[in-house]
Amino acid sequence: MTDETIDLTNCDRELIHIPSLIQPHGVLLVLQDPTLEILQVSSNTQEVVGRQPEELLGKPLSSLLDVKQIKLLQKCLAEDFESVNPLNLSIKYLNKSIYFDGIVHRLDNIIILELEPKKAKGETGFFDFYQQVRGTITRIQKAPTLLEMCQIVVTEVRRITGFERVMVYKFDQEGGGSVIAEDTNQETPYLDLHYPPSDIPKQARQLYTLNWLRLIPDASYQPVALIPANNPLTNQPLDLSLSVLRSVSPIHLEYMQNMGVTASMSISLMHEKKLWGLIACHHSLPKYVSYNIRTICEFIGQVMSVELLNKEASEDIDYKNQLKSLQTQFVEELSQAEYFIDGMVQLKSQLLNLASATGAAICSGNQCVRVGKTPSEEEVHDLLDWIKPQFYHNLFETRSLTKNYPTAESYKAIASGVLALEISKVHHNYILWFRPEIIQTVNWGGNPNKPVEVLSDGSLRMSPRKSFDLWQETVQGCALPWKPCEIEAVTELRSLVVGVVLRQADKVASMNFELQRSNEELDSFAYVASHDLKEPLRGIHNYANFLMEDYADVLNDDGIAKLQTLVRLTQRMEDLINSLLHFSRLGRAELIRQPVNLSELVQQVITTLTIARPQSEVEFRIPQPFKSVQCDRDQINELFSNLISNAIKYNDKPQKWVEIGFIEGNAESKVAPTSLTFYVRDNGIGISQEHLDKIFQIFRRLHGRDDFGGGTGVGLTIARKIVERHGGRIWVESTPTLGSTFYFTLSGEANR
Amino acid sequence: MTRISAPPIHQTPVLLIVEDSNEDFEALQRFLGRSSVAIAIQRCINGEQALAFLYRTGSYVDRQSAPRPGLIVLDLNLPGTDGREVLRRIKQDDNLKMIPVVVFTTSNNPKDIEVCYQYGANSYIVKPINFAQLKRDVQMLVEYWFEVTTLPDCPED
Repeated sequence: MTDETIDLTNCDRELIHIPSLIQPHGVLLVLQDPTLEILQVSSNTQEVVGRQPEELLGKPLSSLLDVKQIKLLQKCLAEDFESVNPLNLSIKYLNKSIYFDGIVHRLDNIIILELEPKKAKGETGFFDFYQQVRGTITRIQKAPTLLEMCQIVVTEVRRITGFERVMVYKFDQEGGGSVIAEDTNQETPYLDLHYPPSDIPKQARQLYTLNWLRLIPDASYQPVALIPANNPLTNQPLDLSLSVLRSVSPIHLEYMQNMGVTASMSISLMHEKKLWGLIACHHSLPKYVSYNIRTICEFIGQVMSVELLNKEASEDIDYKNQLKSLQTQFVEELSQAEYFIDGMVQLKSQLLNLASATGAAICSGNQCVRVGKTPSEEEVHDLLDWIKPQFYHNLFETRSLTKNYPTAESYKAIASGVLALEISKVHHNYILWFRPEIIQTVNWGGNPNKPVEVLSDGSLRMSPRKSFDLWQETVQGCALPWKPCEIEAVTELRSLVVGVVLRQADKVASMNFELQRSNEELDSFAYVASHDLKEPLRGIHNYANFLMEDYADVLNDDGIAKLQTLVRLTQRMEDLINSLLHFSRLGRAELIRQPVNLSELVQQVITTLTIARPQSEVEFRIPQPFKSVQCDRDQINELFSNLISNAIKYNDKPQKWVEIGFIEGNAESKVAPTSLTFYVRDNGIGISQEHLDKIFQIFRRLHGRDDFGGGTGVGLTIARKIVERHGGRIWVESTPTLGSTFYFTLSGEANR
Repeated sequence: MTRISAPPIHQTPVLLIVEDSNEDFEALQRFLGRSSVAIAIQRCINGEQALAFLYRTGSYVDRQSAPRPGLIVLDLNLPGTDGREVLRRIKQDDNLKMIPVVVFTTSNNPKDIEVCYQYGANSYIVKPINFAQLKRDVQMLVEYWFEVTTLPDCPED
């Protein structure tokens, strides 16, 4: 960890964009916009343009350039100067014209003009440029692979520029990188060497993103100061981010010297607005590259940047096709699966292949299904909890889990690489893929872990590495990196799974709709049926009575008796229809849960029943007062009413009693100690064992119609319905001739 | 207190019965016929016919054939325009809404009961399957509406 805490902070802190110094191979002028008054100059004006700084400061630019050139400059400022740089400028000095490449850019309300003397005379026109790059561009485009393209680029850039060594340096995700292509006439190849992130610190990468070409013609140069030192308008150091002459960080110069490099040029390779890599050119001697050649190299870099996308797309093409076909399998399987987790589990091997993983875990709610080699379920849960806050665009990936999550040390052999996908935060659906640790040997250009120098006084000093000799490191705790195409495959899997999850939600919604519709149909059916059944029944009833009234003198007693039976049957049938109707209403009526004082309710039921049957002498026993419970008052009233009236009705004892009470805890299973079991006990006739399961069936009667006061046989069915609607159960224990006890529970919720 | 007496009945009140069932109508007729009040019964067998009678349209254009009823006994479940709709139309009509409407139906659906009273039904009777009770109900209906109650004077348009 030392490399991160010491070297990076040191270099990362250096403000390399405001050195207030430039390299000496040109001059820098700061001009007021739009007057073009000279505000600030580099101190080397005498050497380059033959004027002392004092001769220029505070003067208009016309004191240096003629009217025609100033017009050119103004025209250039009005346009996109990116496309007009460089300006061909010349300055008369001692009756001689000196020719310059003028490079101009705007910064807030000032204009920075940099002049680089032309080494060779004459202009380079568009056709020269075209001739120079045409063949190169064609070859770049035709290169079949990324690496071959890089090889072509380094060869071409070296041919055009004449550097001793030209390389393509590719950044990795951590900011380090490695040389992936090289063309050189030097003995020691740098190909395949790795460099730590500290070699190109963050702010240097930022500047590479802004300027796509950077030239250091001579690392042993004497830096040139600016006069005055600060930007006179802001009194702050001048921001030289976009300056081509900007002086180089001393640490970088030391780095170059340690590496034996005197001149260097780098061209940025951009991929999706991020720095993908660099074309790096090294020379052991001072080397100036004209602005035109630099433009050609920059153009090559831009073409290569564009081509990166195409080349990467065609990279691993077979593998990508394989991933596509795996996705198709997921589409098929998931479209049939009821729940996403089921579908996933069906496709164990495909799930692993999709990300070339050796293990995977599918987490849904509290469920966790593991496939292949994975950490334990508990470890997966802990890991997932750690990952959750770090999801970015529903993804998390690492190739060296232990680096940030030391807990993973114990299972790094199977899960050093983790790719995690968040499918639904709400439903807690995640998929994790694991890759084992691969112990690798990395060739470093010098020991990356020792950037700190201990000075003679014992203090630490940051310095670039002195040795760039091959330094081999064995890397532990790292898995193979997750390829972009694998990450893409996983991301696409997410949209697929989300589709399935949504479809399941849709299905539930449509089932609910269907259910509601069929409930409504049942509702109207019940009323219509009852109406339509009752109408003819009423006709039979009335007509039988008409017969008895109108033909009384014709009918004998037997005829009258038979008609009376007919009338009685119509009334019984009406009772049955009404019971059925009541039962069907009970199932549909909305349950209105409210706190109900059961002591009062039971007392009311008893009172009502006593009034209805004043002839029956019954002793009611309530051993302990009831608590208040959450329930539907009317329904619970009916429940107690049915049970208690049965207890009174089916009783032939001279001393009848009914006990109504409750037991703490579930009498059956004892799993929920907080729940209450209510009971209604009697000393009645009891129910024989063989009938116990039948008594709750609708219209089921165990006794003759007219015994025990009759009834339609729907009371216990309704009792069961009420209990079930409250989320409880009802059952009976009975001993024939001694009595029965009806038990019931209401849901846990009801007992609170 | 002096009882405010009803204006002398100059003509027998007309009772409109909207009932599709012949059997139920016969039962009603049977008990109405036994009442002490002479009642002229008009029967409509469905909603359309009842509205035509009340608005004097269709075959009831002739005023003589469609006298204003003093009371309407209305069944709910009728073919076509059902009793609920007939009730709604009557109670929304400025001329008709003063005629008392007694809903006489098989339905004991609480929704029906609520809706009918909301529409402005004056009474709601569930048809009993009980001969004695039916007899009593009809008897009380006639006595209540034609003897106890003072009905409004129906302005003849």
